[in-house]
Amino acid sequence: MSTKLADGVTCHAWSPDRKRIAVCENSERVYIYKNADKPSVTDWVKEHELVGHDLVVSAIDWSPVHNKIVTCSHDRNAFVWTFTDNEWKPSLSILRINRAALDVKWSPDGTKFAVASGAKVVPVCHYESHNDWWISKMIKKHKSTVTSVAWHPNSQLLATGSTDFRCRVFSAFIKDIDRPTNSILGDTGRFSFGDQIVDFDASNGWVEGVAWSPSGNQLAFVGHDSSISFVDFEGGSSVCKSLKSKELPNQKVMFLSDTVVVA
Amino acid sequence: NTLKPYLDCIRTTLTAALCLRNFPSQIVERHNKPEVEVRGSRELLLQPIVVSRNENERCLIEPAINSVRVSIRIKQADEIEEILTHKFSRFLMQRAEQFVILRRKPVSGYDLSFLITHKHLEDLWKHKLVDFVIQFMEDIDREINGMKISVNTRARIVAHEFMKQFA
Repeated sequence: MSTKLADGVTCHAWSPDRKRIAVCENSERVYIYKNADKPSVTDWVKEHELVGHDLVVSAIDWSPVHNKIVTCSHDRNAFVWTFTDNEWKPSLSILRINRAALDVKWSPDGTKFAVASGAKVVPVCHYESHNDWWISKMIKKHKSTVTSVAWHPNSQLLATGSTDFRCRVFSAFIKDIDRPTNSILGDTGRFSFGDQIVDFDASNGWVEGVAWSPSGNQLAFVGHDSSISFVDFEGGSSVCKSLKSKELPNQKVMFLSDTVVVA
Repeated sequence: NTLKPYLDCIRTTLTAALCLRNFPSQIVERHNKPEVEVRGSRELLLQPIVVSRNENERCLIEPAINSVRVSIRIKQADEIEEILTHKFSRFLMQRAEQFVILRRKPVSGYDLSFLITHKHLEDLWKHKLVDFVIQFMEDIDREINGMKISVNTRARIVAHEFMKQFA
């Protein structure tokens, strides 16, 4: 017999030690539950409440690197919450978007986060200690709302999925923050910020979810036409293969390992 | 009999069309509008589908990213059925708030329209909603037929009584 936590859950994020979970129950508030490693929801204890957004919170991400939570909402804002003195304190992030934010993800090294927004841009924010805020640089090439973002494990390449039926890979290399490395798509120092590296037109529907494999050699995206596409970057060029299913479309995709995918 | 395949086709089309998500407006900030009504951005609308049983009975399904519009044209074989359908659907549409998903005005060329948004899907089960629409379509046909029979019966009784005085 399963019990419900709430009538609807918009988004959630696990803490790095998997003992806590941050949940948004289709409202503007985010609740952090303790004891979340217990299988029964009735054992979860509401520990903190993050208040700050005006409209529904659309995505939460909890970084394992520095234990910060970033939340973004339909009210065009994103907050970075830091746990100090037994309380979660929000800190300002200047996104400069004029439409709702739909998805947010920390880069694997924790220095940046990317926000997918309805303003057809992706702001990538990094911390500026001079003014104690998170400042953004925009990736502009999309023709319609960006629905999801995913970071490559090297924290310098960003894949985005959008309602203009494409999945794109951009360089998110910020000169003062990142050091150029050799990635499967070439030396990352070669591209400047916001350059589109590749784009894929494989889906006949809106691209709902995007994910990189843990090694960073493959990219998967799911579209509203019930397709799931895999891109292999081996050997310098990208090869894209799609599988269509007869079922209803998937909304999210995740790699469990380099060879196993869940959607 | 063409009724069952017609309803099955509508059922599968609706189940696929009702994959909606909460999508804030791209055009106005902080607003959340049903995109199938606003029709502001072409890429957010899906291909409209017409399911026809015959030339008189049709169902138009217009999907979008956060809303779906379902319009029905009810079978109207003669003038009496036309009047009955018109009165009955007007009765329902004036009470659209009670139905939650009913639209106050039908789409042109059709008798009745539903507007289903993701907000409705957050409160209602999707399979039950599809069941409701299919059941509604069956019941309306049955109601109109029943009303027509009772109109004809009443007319016959009235005429009979009137003629008695001349007998």
